[in-house]
Parts: sequence; C-alpha cells; structure tokens
Amino acid sequence: MDSPFANQRFAEDIGVRFPLLSDMTRKVTKEYGLLNEEWSVARRATFVLDKTGKIVHIEEGNSAVDPTGAMMICSRLKK
Amino acid sequence: MLRRLTTLSMLALAGTTVVAVAQQPLGQPAPPSTHLKVGDAAPDFSLRDQNNQPVKLSDFRAKKNVVLAFYVLAFTGG
Repeated sequence: MDSPFANQRFAEDIGVRFPLLSDMTRKVTKEYGLLNEEWSVARRATFVLDKTGKIVHIEEGNSAVDPTGAMMICSRLKK
Repeated sequence: MLRRLTTLSMLALAGTTVVAVAQQPLGQPAPPSTHLKVGDAAPDFSLRDQNNQPVKLSDFRAKKNVVLAFYVLAFTGG
C-alpha cells in the first residue's frame, strides 16, 4: 500500500492534477465491494458520479484502465 | 513483489473532478465484483491525498461530477 508521501512523489513524477488518494486501511475499497479480504486482493474499477453523488457509470476489471467510457459519460453530464 | 511505478492514465475533464484511489494488494486470486449499481448513492469517505490533506467525497456534492478510479497496482508493473 502506498502512503500519501509515496503518492506525492508519484504525482510529481507524472504531473497529476487531481487528488490521488491513499486507502491505506483498504476500508474504502472494501466499502465499494472491490476487496477480497482473505487474499487482500482488490479489483480495478472506475465510477462516474454526478453532482448528487449518484453513480451513473461503473467500469470494472481491466477495462477500467481505459478512460474512454468514463469520458463519454462525463461529456453527457451537466457541468 | 508487487510494488512501484507504472503509468496512471487519467483524464482531466472540464467541470469534472477526477479522484484516484491507489491501493496495492498482496495476493493473486480473482478479486470480487462491486455490489454497487448505477443509480446507487456512492458511499462517502474521507482519505488523504498526495499532499496529506483529507479529501471527502461528499465535499464535491452539488459542485462537481466525480470520476472515482480505484487503481489497484497503479504503481507497479503488474
């Protein structure tokens, strides 16, 4: 698991301009149903939320690495 | 040893805040699928960002759309 300090270095290296969060305890990953506690393994996923906090799009697995789906959904959301 | 850097390809979308959660597993078995569905309220949380500042998901409510990316193994070659 990466600490906020490790994330800071990573963010600097690649020029991240958005919050890069550390889930050190894996609590959030678990709450989102993406953690197998027995094996401490988690799943990649992307969620798009609208301004009300409602989930409008979910991408799981390796396809979650590709931002195309999230981009398409975001372009339809009210800014 | 599953550690270290790989690229994190994220998008900066106009009017949208992108939040990435980095977390690294230790095992190899198939991970679970989320129980959350489109239309559900996203569970709120507060986590520390790369500047060690707390970021609360609900703080974006009524202000921004959010892309929440769980990037397991984001910093590894795997």
